[in-house]
Amino acid sequence: MASATDSRYGQKESSDQNFDYMFKILIIGNSSVGKTSFLFRYADDSFTPAFVSTVGIDFKVKTIYRNDKRIKLQIWDTAGQERYRTITTAYYRGAMGFILMYDITNEESFNAVQDWSTQIKTYSWDNAQVLLVGNKCDMEDERVVSSERGRQLADHLGFEFFEASAKDNINVKQTFERLVDVICEKMSESLDTADPAVTGAKQGPQLTDQQAPPHQDCAC
Amino acid sequence: MAQDASLSSFQESEWEVILPVLYRDRAVQNVEEERIRKLKTRLQQLRWRGAKRGGQEYAEKSCARCRRALGLLLNRGAVCQGCSHRVCSECRVFPGRTRVWRCTVCYEGRNVRIKTGEWFFEERAKKFPTEGRQETAGARLLQSYQELSKISVVPPTPPPLSESWCSSSPGRLQELSQPRGFNKSVENLFLSVTTHMKKLSKSQNDVTSDKQLLSTSPEQGTGRPERRSQSDTAINVTARKISAPDILQSLSPESPKRPANPVLKQENLLSHPTPGPLFSGGSRQGSLISINSACTEIGNFDNADVTGEVELALRYCFKTRSLEVCIKSCRNLAYGEERKKKCNPYVKTYLLPDRSSQGKRKTGVQKNTVDPTFQETLKYQVEPAQLATRRLQVSVWHLGTLARRVFLGEVIIPLASWDFGDSTTQAFRWHPLRAKAEKHEDSSSPNHGELTVRAKLVLPAGTSKLQEAQEGTGEEPSCDGQLCLVVLGAQNLPVRSDGTLNSFVKGCLTLPDKQKLRLKSPVLKKQACPQWKHSFVFNGVSPAQLRQSSLELTVWDQAAFGVSDRLLGEARLGSREDPAGGAGSGSHSKLQWQKVLSSPNLWTDMTLVLH
Repeated sequence: MASATDSRYGQKESSDQNFDYMFKILIIGNSSVGKTSFLFRYADDSFTPAFVSTVGIDFKVKTIYRNDKRIKLQIWDTAGQERYRTITTAYYRGAMGFILMYDITNEESFNAVQDWSTQIKTYSWDNAQVLLVGNKCDMEDERVVSSERGRQLADHLGFEFFEASAKDNINVKQTFERLVDVICEKMSESLDTADPAVTGAKQGPQLTDQQAPPHQDCAC
Repeated sequence: MAQDASLSSFQESEWEVILPVLYRDRAVQNVEEERIRKLKTRLQQLRWRGAKRGGQEYAEKSCARCRRALGLLLNRGAVCQGCSHRVCSECRVFPGRTRVWRCTVCYEGRNVRIKTGEWFFEERAKKFPTEGRQETAGARLLQSYQELSKISVVPPTPPPLSESWCSSSPGRLQELSQPRGFNKSVENLFLSVTTHMKKLSKSQNDVTSDKQLLSTSPEQGTGRPERRSQSDTAINVTARKISAPDILQSLSPESPKRPANPVLKQENLLSHPTPGPLFSGGSRQGSLISINSACTEIGNFDNADVTGEVELALRYCFKTRSLEVCIKSCRNLAYGEERKKKCNPYVKTYLLPDRSSQGKRKTGVQKNTVDPTFQETLKYQVEPAQLATRRLQVSVWHLGTLARRVFLGEVIIPLASWDFGDSTTQAFRWHPLRAKAEKHEDSSSPNHGELTVRAKLVLPAGTSKLQEAQEGTGEEPSCDGQLCLVVLGAQNLPVRSDGTLNSFVKGCLTLPDKQKLRLKSPVLKKQACPQWKHSFVFNGVSPAQLRQSSLELTVWDQAAFGVSDRLLGEARLGSREDPAGGAGSGSHSKLQWQKVLSSPNLWTDMTLVLH
């Protein structure tokens, strides 16, 4: 039936399927804080100092090996400009985690973090994982936002915090890997509330209320 | 949708960047869906393998997974906490370091929820209960784009610039457009799409012939009186006399001349119901051009009672950008000639609204059957974004003696809502045939082709600076500006029945004081897609004046005896006081006009839709 016709008109590359799961990550933040550079550094290990404003959205795919699993990351790079807000916010719902970025040499971009965080709260799922990243930490001379302030804001918002530099490749990989880890944690948590016994992480009270109802998961 | 409103403010240049991303995403998504489907299938198989269902099995004491018999004392099995089935020790998985376990199926179920991202969708559903997992932001955007492009007549017209975008941030505009230098490229892109599809559209534009047939007035009729004849045979003969040789000449110059005698011609046709494709790029069997379709499309055919169904499948291959219509078979067709119980059916398709012969695909003719099997694939090269604006018309015809066509029924499938990404919609399906719709309702949308022009406002050095300052003062700049307009060419014009035109362009610049400056291009003879490359120069106009002026461009077909030229279409640039013009087209051309005025000494390429 469907599969038979599929193969005749195959438009898929099955080579890509060699991974355990796929996470979608969104990079947001004011215009010119370095979202695209950050992504290019991570995905291609390249850096261009020239500023090219992102039009709407873009994405890159990178498969990493983490916790014994091959994880395919679809990382969405968004335009910071207000003009594209409709497009970019449309992608919030599909994202499991966010990198919220500001530029340590740009006060305004830091001040906007709160707003971006509100956007996430509005458009994304409740357990969205967010990492706050102060980019351009190589430009120490022009710094206007201290690490301390960044950290405090991150604490206040309940995000983890990194300072990073796409240019000097500082903390780029770490940021993404940490985000993947926290998403994984969230994933286990989510699965465990549905079925606490499997990981054995938290059993006890849940076990009892779980026993009776949820058979639907295993419709044998 | 509010979203659409903001999306519509995007320029074509922006879509040009965004669309490839969306398509790339769709490719990723397709791979992902395929992977998920496999995972779920595997889980399902695992479940079925155990195949313990209902209550029957507890009597027989076997493992719910591997069905191995369980002992009374040894290997008694234990109940899985996940599914409450009793399973043997082999079929347990200990995922954590604890002694807690699940049966293999429950464990796999959990894995699948991780691997498919199901956990995320479940979590998300807590906040957005209506959100399906299928629909991604990209898919929605694509759809919005398609809807938008339907509104703004996509092919050659870039969607309107938003006012705010234009006025508030010229810098941004530059930032966007400068590095790509797209002024030209976008329109070229879209032009190439349309040209691709319609470049050869030299012969009958059936929609227009319809209209002309209806509205022919005595003096207009000079060019085409034959069509008005009431005798069927006369139409057959004359229409063919005019069109056939020309089509054949223009499309395949090497093909031998057909005999002039129409009867002989028909014999020819009958003996070769499916001549090989006359030019490459067509489907293997379906002929692209036929001599007779002019007749069928202008209503010169017989009607049979419509019965039966056609079985077909639709696919769109994003790689090759082709729409594939697989015509498998028909059943229970009406007899083309009821009395003789004769039926030689074939299937013809158009990708509406294009009714030109280049948009036609046909299957071969099956003889003497009302349940024909075709097994033919008719292909269209069409951009994905175009699909939303198209409807596939599949009609079934009987080819009778003397090439008489009998209409056996049709199906019209709107492609806007067709989900080409979904494999289930790609299966063959039966579509009941229907009688012809009243009249081609889509012919009401008056698109009479496109005119490409290039415009530049020439200002002497110094005044251009003033211009950039956005007319802040009431000070009148000097009047020695010059508006240069190069009329490059036009296409998709409503051509004559022989597929050509003797066309020229008139330009009329109406200044604020109602003074009219008129210019005219030379006539280009015998061309369907004329390329005049003629420049109009309007001297002594100031930018301030131009801002309140309008430029009307009209394309004409020169009449044979110079009595009255036929107006093919018009486009207007610039301000327009009278509200007669549609708001959409008016504001759009206004914005293009603004672009010209706000960037003096720079050429701006425009494609204007003719109305």
